[in-house]
Amino acid sequence: MNSALNIGQSHDGGVCIVTLSGRIDSTNANDLMSQLTKLILAGEKSIVVDLGAVLYLTSAAFRALLVATDEAERNAAKFVLCSLGGHVRELFEMGGLLEVFTVHPSRAEAVARLG
Amino acid sequence: MSSSVDIVIHNELSEIALVRDALDQLGSELEVPAQAIVQLQVALDEIVSNVIKYSWVDGGKHDILVRITVEDDGVALDIFDDGEPFDPRGVPEPLPSLAGMRPEPGGVGIHMVRKLVDDFAYRRIDARNHTTLTKKCATGALTRRID
Repeated sequence: MNSALNIGQSHDGGVCIVTLSGRIDSTNANDLMSQLTKLILAGEKSIVVDLGAVLYLTSAAFRALLVATDEAERNAAKFVLCSLGGHVRELFEMGGLLEVFTVHPSRAEAVARLG
Repeated sequence: MSSSVDIVIHNELSEIALVRDALDQLGSELEVPAQAIVQLQVALDEIVSNVIKYSWVDGGKHDILVRITVEDDGVALDIFDDGEPFDPRGVPEPLPSLAGMRPEPGGVGIHMVRKLVDDFAYRRIDARNHTTLTKKCATGALTRRID
């Protein structure tokens, strides 16, 4: 069964960029959480999660992102989100979570702030 | 006129994908607006993941029945389980998040369900929980009936 979520990873200078595409729900949020935790524990100090190609996300995804945010804080790493499009931004708003994360409009801006 | 599909899954999170994919398929066959399908998929995930986590305490394998019904004027999801009585509508609203504070995500999902669907109903019948999520939208169910 395809997991419906693809997690890509690249670097732009010292910034680690995690590109998510597809759907993030209860079936795969744990995969996302462990990937992000692994990056933080591996010593990445600047992480941008690009949600531009995400179709939707559920509260399981918010939980994964909150856990990663806490883990980043414990490890003195910067952890930000970028490119929240239509449905995705609406869902963050519905969950009351837009203010909880550091969100940048575009990947370029996120990298510029962290780099 | 309506088209209805029953899907039985086990109480494992990975199996929610079966219903999610069925919604995609039915949605495209019956011309349900993409936004309505996305909203139902999110609401489905919230409700069924709650059922899986909290309905049974015995750790055993159980069935959850999800019925997808597409009518001319909307889509309904009926979710049945024979676990502990639990009305998901009773989950309290999450506290508003204050700047610099992390909310506990518990309750966030159900709060989203309330906003995502037009009707959110629950009944306990014959020792089963029965949650119904209804989204109003124009569909092609009248002209594109499937059996």
